[in-house]
Amino acid sequence: MKREDSTILNKYGKDPGFKVPENYFADFNQRMAEMLPDVEITPVDVKPTMWQRLKPFAYLAAMFAGVWCMMSVFSHFTNTSNLNGVSAVAEKMQDDNSNVDDFIMSGSVSDYDILSYEDSVAMSNEENFSDEE
Amino acid sequence: MAAREKYDEALVVEQLHDPKLCKIAFGKVIEHYSSQLYWQIRRMVIDHDDANDVLQNTFLKAWTNIDNFRGDAKLSTWLYKIAINESITFVNKKKVMNQLSIDDDESFLVNQLESDEWFDGDQAQINLQKAIATLPEKQRLVFNLRYYDEMKYDEMSEILGTSEGALKASYHHAVKKIEQYLGENE
Repeated sequence: MKREDSTILNKYGKDPGFKVPENYFADFNQRMAEMLPDVEITPVDVKPTMWQRLKPFAYLAAMFAGVWCMMSVFSHFTNTSNLNGVSAVAEKMQDDNSNVDDFIMSGSVSDYDILSYEDSVAMSNEENFSDEE
Repeated sequence: MAAREKYDEALVVEQLHDPKLCKIAFGKVIEHYSSQLYWQIRRMVIDHDDANDVLQNTFLKAWTNIDNFRGDAKLSTWLYKIAINESITFVNKKKVMNQLSIDDDESFLVNQLESDEWFDGDQAQINLQKAIATLPEKQRLVFNLRYYDEMKYDEMSEILGTSEGALKASYHHAVKKIEQYLGENE
């Protein structure tokens, strides 16, 4: 794209024709540095504090902790809905002291199953009772 | 010859606020910026001796106010601002001393150019400087910063406190006026 100042640039260039004495800048720099008066400088602690340095890492750790918590909660809910396999339930049911409430609560047992189970328990109790007699 | 130490602005700004290192750090600032500030000042005041005085005042002002510089803006922006203000103040003072109107830039600056022993430009360069001298102060500043220093508009905007759009418009008008002046006076 053509520069809007190209007409001037092509004809006159960038040298304005100004000159400086030889070694002007080196002399000026030295002279200027020497003539600086004493001034009062208030020290500024530009070094970051410990917290400022650790802040990004703390935020990163908090973010990972949050993600981990969310994953744990999600994992917990998905696992309980699976009952973790039928064999675990069977083992639990064979135990006399077992409580089948958890299994029933899971929603995998129908009313018919519960009634059948109660009948079988009643019959077993009756048999035990008659044996004792 | 010893190798020139690399200029690290972040480090220098940090050292400027350390009472033990501030003077050495400011020496590095002078070394790094003296040339670019000088040429900006020189294009404003034209005469070498005047540019030398204004550059000296610029650094003295920066040094005595160094405690106020907190690094919010770039050091170059801050120094340019001081240099431009010092140049404008100087030119206006000198015009008052010469009993000229504040708006009478052209004749004043052309006289400066013709009497400066450190100007050895040809007629074309004199004509261009005369054309630049006809511009209003702000347009002259914008033209010099853009044409000679190729400064970006966003940086110029920070220095001059004007929107980039307004600066682009200023530059456009400046170029057109210079072209017109040169067309009429060649």
